Amino acid sequence: MTNLLEVRNLSKQFKSSGGPFRKPRAMYAVNDVSFDLAKGRVIGVVGESGCGKSTLARLILRLIEPSTGSLRFDGDDLRAKSPAAMRRLRADMQMVFQDPYSAIDPRYTITRALIEPFVVQGRYTIGTADQEVSELLTLVGLSPGLASSFPHQISGGQKQRVGIARALALRPRLLVLDEPTASLDVSVQAQIISLLEKLRDDLGLTYLFISHDLSLVRYFCDEILVMYLGRVVEVLPETDATVRHPYTATLMDSTFAPDPRQRRIIAPLEGEVPSPFDQPPGCAFADRCPRATAICRSETPVLSTAFGHAVACHNPL
Amino acid sequence: MTSITDTIARALSGFRSTPMSRAFGSWLGKIAGGFLALLVLTAIFAPWITPFDYAAQDLTNGNAPPGWPHLLGTDQFGRDVLSRVIYGARTSLSVSATAIAISITVGMTLGAAAGYFGGFFERAVMTVVDLTWSFPDILIALIFVAIIGPGLTSTTFAIAIAYLAQFTRLTRAQIVRLKQETFIEVTINLGAKPHHILLKHLLPNAIAPVIVVGMLAIGDGIVLEATLGFFGLGAQPPTPSWGAMMASGTAKLFLSPWVIISPGVVVAVTVIAVNLFGDELIRALDIRDRIRDS
Repeated sequence: MTNLLEVRNLSKQFKSSGGPFRKPRAMYAVNDVSFDLAKGRVIGVVGESGCGKSTLARLILRLIEPSTGSLRFDGDDLRAKSPAAMRRLRADMQMVFQDPYSAIDPRYTITRALIEPFVVQGRYTIGTADQEVSELLTLVGLSPGLASSFPHQISGGQKQRVGIARALALRPRLLVLDEPTASLDVSVQAQIISLLEKLRDDLGLTYLFISHDLSLVRYFCDEILVMYLGRVVEVLPETDATVRHPYTATLMDSTFAPDPRQRRIIAPLEGEVPSPFDQPPGCAFADRCPRATAICRSETPVLSTAFGHAVACHNPL
Repeated sequence: MTSITDTIARALSGFRSTPMSRAFGSWLGKIAGGFLALLVLTAIFAPWITPFDYAAQDLTNGNAPPGWPHLLGTDQFGRDVLSRVIYGARTSLSVSATAIAISITVGMTLGAAAGYFGGFFERAVMTVVDLTWSFPDILIALIFVAIIGPGLTSTTFAIAIAYLAQFTRLTRAQIVRLKQETFIEVTINLGAKPHHILLKHLLPNAIAPVIVVGMLAIGDGIVLEATLGFFGLGAQPPTPSWGAMMASGTAKLFLSPWVIISPGVVVAVTVIAVNLFGDELIRALDIRDRIRDS
């Protein structure tokens, strides 16, 4: 199986320039992230808010320019692309955004929003436009009758389906899903997830699925990257793999069981995520970790496969 | 009155419920909008409406009080005040509207470019704009007229420059706010070029508050034109302008007050109507917050 996406040592450093009353500061939003995404697979990225999940998605699509690292899409070096070549290539790698409510221009009808990908890519032909729009709407389970509606006339779930339809319009190979269900009701979430599963099977898509919902990611993905403060701390090659990193373990423990007989006492994670600015040496999780020892505060752990799968921890479970 | 304004509103809006027709919905909107529509029609059809030639002098009948045949009396040269007020509407409205149109065009271009590209260009533009913003409008207009000389053209450009800062700031604020919206990121990710993003998404969404502020600015422009005219810097004789007419009336204020009162009342009522209608438009478009945040 060939890799559609190869990410190597990808980092993004945000700097704030100093002024008369401020020190210049720098932080890594994404720090040294590497992974391969094979064609037809689904990789999930989980972590708390602020851990760099969304930044990672935007770096991969070059919506934000990476500081260092390399990106290969289907063997092509993405970072070497000229702006014009990159614009053309965007047809192959689309994204579904977290907030469906602001993802469609309020002045655009659904038809106009769905035609825009073709217009932008210079593939617009007047005769076929109506047919394309109704095909796309049918593909995502919407009635073609909605085509002339404005975004404020349809529901959040319908807007997200339109967002998915627009992302699929150019027949991309990679679809990045940035918390596509986070701002939707639970019942609508389930509809969107089953739609995404169906589309993957029907169209042979490859997904990068970003979420803070670990149980959702375990259900939906083939492989899971766990991120903490910009770094990948654990890579679970299968969703039922034994968890090694204490942070992943706490994340797993903090999902609620719907069955009252399965309820257990949840030990909430103490403390807060440290400031991403001026990080002390050592493991970023050390202050909150029940298994932390002296080495955790002096040496930054690196991903190693010594315990079966890749874990960045000095004292894995 | 009602049926006329409704017809105008529907004609303007293509028979649908639009902000324009909703602005005509309240009785204030009807009165203000109706007056403005009437004023524009009067200005356009001035040659057919005016009872006398605005420049025809009758020195034997100077400073005649209102009556027949001079409904609003005559000025010191015996010219018909009503005819001059009607022709003055032409001067005032066309100068103010042209000036604001120039101001909006240049201001939106500068503001959109500053907001979209950011960086050094934005800082340079906004520094100059804020600098002019800190002076009163009349001072900027006076400086400009002093440089290129009095007349209608220089008045037009002076008013355009005086209100440039307002439109630049407003547009920039809109663009900066809109740039954060997800649909812009979506469009970039579809592979759109900058001009597509600016022309198809940012400007269409930014234009509504700019148009309304422009509408209100036409009222201010009329006052500014009248002020420059009052100082003798605007329209030159014999072209009638409301400000110049008021200036000529000051000499015989107590002898023939109708010479100054007629254009004065028309200026005041016009500006009030513009502001009331502008407020109704703001309410109909629901954009009060967006206008305030610039």
